[in-house]
Amino acid sequence: MPVKNRAAEFQEEVAGWRRDIHEHPEILYDTHRTSALVAEKLKSFGCDEVVTGIGRTGVVAVIRGRSDTKGRAIGLRADMDALPMQEQTGLPHASKIPNAMHACGHDGHTAMLLGAAKYLAETRNFDGTAVVIFQPAEEGGNGGEAMVKDGMMERFGIDEVYAIHNSPGIEAGKFAIRPGPILASVDEFTLHLKGRGGHGAKPHMTVDTTVMMCHMISALQTIVSRNMDPIEKAVMTLTSAETSSKAFNVIPDRAEVRGTIRTHSEEVRAMIPKRIKEIAEGVAQTFGGSVEVEMRIGVPVTINDEAATEYAREAAEAVTSCEDVPILMGGEDFSFMLMERPGAMIRLGNGNSAGLHHPEYDFNDEIIPAGISWFAEVVERRMPAA
Amino acid sequence: MPVKNRFAELQEEITAWRRDIHENPEILFETHRTSALVAEKLKEFGCDEIVTGIGRTGVVGVIKGKSDTSGKVIGLRADMDALPIHEQTGLEYASKTANAMHACGHDGHTAMLLGAAKYLSETRNFDGTVVVIFQPAEEGGGGGKEMCDDGMMERWNIQEVYGMHNWPGKPVGSFAIRSGAFFAATDQFDITFEGRGGHAAKPHETIDTTVMSAQAVLALQTIASRNADPVDRVVVSVTSFETSSKAFNVIPQRVQIKGTVRTMSAEMRDLAEKRIKEICAGVAATFGGTADVTYHRGYPVMVNHEEQTDFAAKVASDISGNCEEAPLVMGGEDFAFMLEERPGAYILVGNGDSADVHHPEYNFNDEAIPAGCSWWAGIVEQRMPAA
Repeated sequence: MPVKNRAAEFQEEVAGWRRDIHEHPEILYDTHRTSALVAEKLKSFGCDEVVTGIGRTGVVAVIRGRSDTKGRAIGLRADMDALPMQEQTGLPHASKIPNAMHACGHDGHTAMLLGAAKYLAETRNFDGTAVVIFQPAEEGGNGGEAMVKDGMMERFGIDEVYAIHNSPGIEAGKFAIRPGPILASVDEFTLHLKGRGGHGAKPHMTVDTTVMMCHMISALQTIVSRNMDPIEKAVMTLTSAETSSKAFNVIPDRAEVRGTIRTHSEEVRAMIPKRIKEIAEGVAQTFGGSVEVEMRIGVPVTINDEAATEYAREAAEAVTSCEDVPILMGGEDFSFMLMERPGAMIRLGNGNSAGLHHPEYDFNDEIIPAGISWFAEVVERRMPAA
Repeated sequence: MPVKNRFAELQEEITAWRRDIHENPEILFETHRTSALVAEKLKEFGCDEIVTGIGRTGVVGVIKGKSDTSGKVIGLRADMDALPIHEQTGLEYASKTANAMHACGHDGHTAMLLGAAKYLSETRNFDGTVVVIFQPAEEGGGGGKEMCDDGMMERWNIQEVYGMHNWPGKPVGSFAIRSGAFFAATDQFDITFEGRGGHAAKPHETIDTTVMSAQAVLALQTIASRNADPVDRVVVSVTSFETSSKAFNVIPQRVQIKGTVRTMSAEMRDLAEKRIKEICAGVAATFGGTADVTYHRGYPVMVNHEEQTDFAAKVASDISGNCEEAPLVMGGEDFAFMLEERPGAYILVGNGDSADVHHPEYNFNDEAIPAGCSWWAGIVEQRMPAA
């Protein structure tokens, strides 16, 4: 059985929602327009319960099956937030908001889960309850953790959780999954550098914060190349660097560097922040400046439950096909939900698009029917109609 | 000969002009009120010709001596513009305009040259012609160049030009000067590095622009340490560094760095520009990215002419007893353009123990007025002595 016919019929409508969301990206917890749109659609589908404000701007809806003899509830989750970057796709539905863009396909995830909710609310061909979960702040805001902390799992009696992430480079509409760790832990940090500012023509009277910062950026590259066991996997990336001076002739007294740490083990996750602090402080001391390291503990390693992975794979094979994926260095806020309940995240091929977080990335609307069908299959297979 | 008695008499009046200008600072070419005030005063003094609108808002006044057998014409120049700095002096005549301040003493320079114009119009005790030049936009606008481009030197047949700057840290009324290269050439660069942006967890699919740019900033340090002749001077400062990504998980596509180059010779200036372009292109190529370097040449090296410098120093020594040799200054000065057109000299006059120029607590020292005015008058009366 390929994609569900009803899902194929929806495609144009769901693609319309997707492009509307794409045009109006919202960052972190500020998904006010998107959350309102989601809640409104869910009500129009006739969901039995629509609750907003879970995890600040998260939305949860309940769809009851035709029967409920076993008292089971399956959670299906999508993310709604966009990224703080300038879109460069030149598409007719490109972002209308400067420095905000759906560059990770959350517009597509949200639209597909809305499509699945519409289908499930129409058909109700299952024995139990489907809980659709729309979370804010997946991109570095721990929105999933916020929803869990608001007692979502207990309140809606959720037994298992499932989610989709689109994957550029995998054939459009094909699925991929692996059991166990699939995505990395993600921690973030900010280095606050302080030198001594002054006139651009009098370097000898300053402690040049720019030069100190650049030495730090270069020295920090040795954590992965020199400090880490080569068998381990980790990445430390400095993504943002900014001096306090924007002038041509003023040497800045401060600079700020931001970055991220990705690991697949707790040992490496502990080693890297320690080395960042040692290297940053050492370089600062070398140049007579100072640095303050601010660590922000983020998401843990994302671990797919073994049995749930098999259910997810079977559902995917029923729709199109499912291959194995290697472990990836991206992080996923869904890990907080997977720590609370067994479940799995599956990858859905986005075809030959630009990579995630690239300014030319766009979600592939052709994969919508496959995504909707998978969500529906998971519900109908895990809670077959009595 | 110490300061002229007449300037001691005029000091209070000149101080009032100076404080009025200080209270009403104007930036770059927007010196409309100041230019109007200058033109009005010059008329009141009885200057023979007053022309506004030279170099947009510049003002030129002509004062003919008692005789003109020499046919000589000397230009005396002051600057009128203020800086985009918020004043923090707490003075009763502090700037009335937010984020505009006479923090470089151009209010004093203008007032002193007005005082000299008043005296010279009264006495006319010289054989030739004086052209007083009031320029806008000295602070980064190239106002002096615009006045030259408007044909000022030819129009008034100016043969020599002189300029003056107050100097914090030097005793009030004392002078300092140096022959040859004096103030630095001040250039700016604006470089955009481009790599390939992407997800922070997939560094291998990107060209990390942050790492590439950091290496380039480090490599640029070698211009001063390795490329420059150790007896020559160069400053290359990267002052601003900004990634296009502000996120924690996005590797930026672009990084923009900005900075300044200060040099004391045309050769060093050419070398610095060449090496910045080579180093950035080389480092970018190393990492598989690109570097787009915009090098903007600002003020050239300001070079004092030897004969005029010796003469200016002698006039200064007559007033204050001696004239020290000034150090090289790594700051830039728009007067460099006028000195490229005509021989002349630029002198420093002590501002006493004040805050440094461009500091929000700086103030011009009114006690320097008699010495400054006397130097202007001395330049005219000794270079073109009455027949």
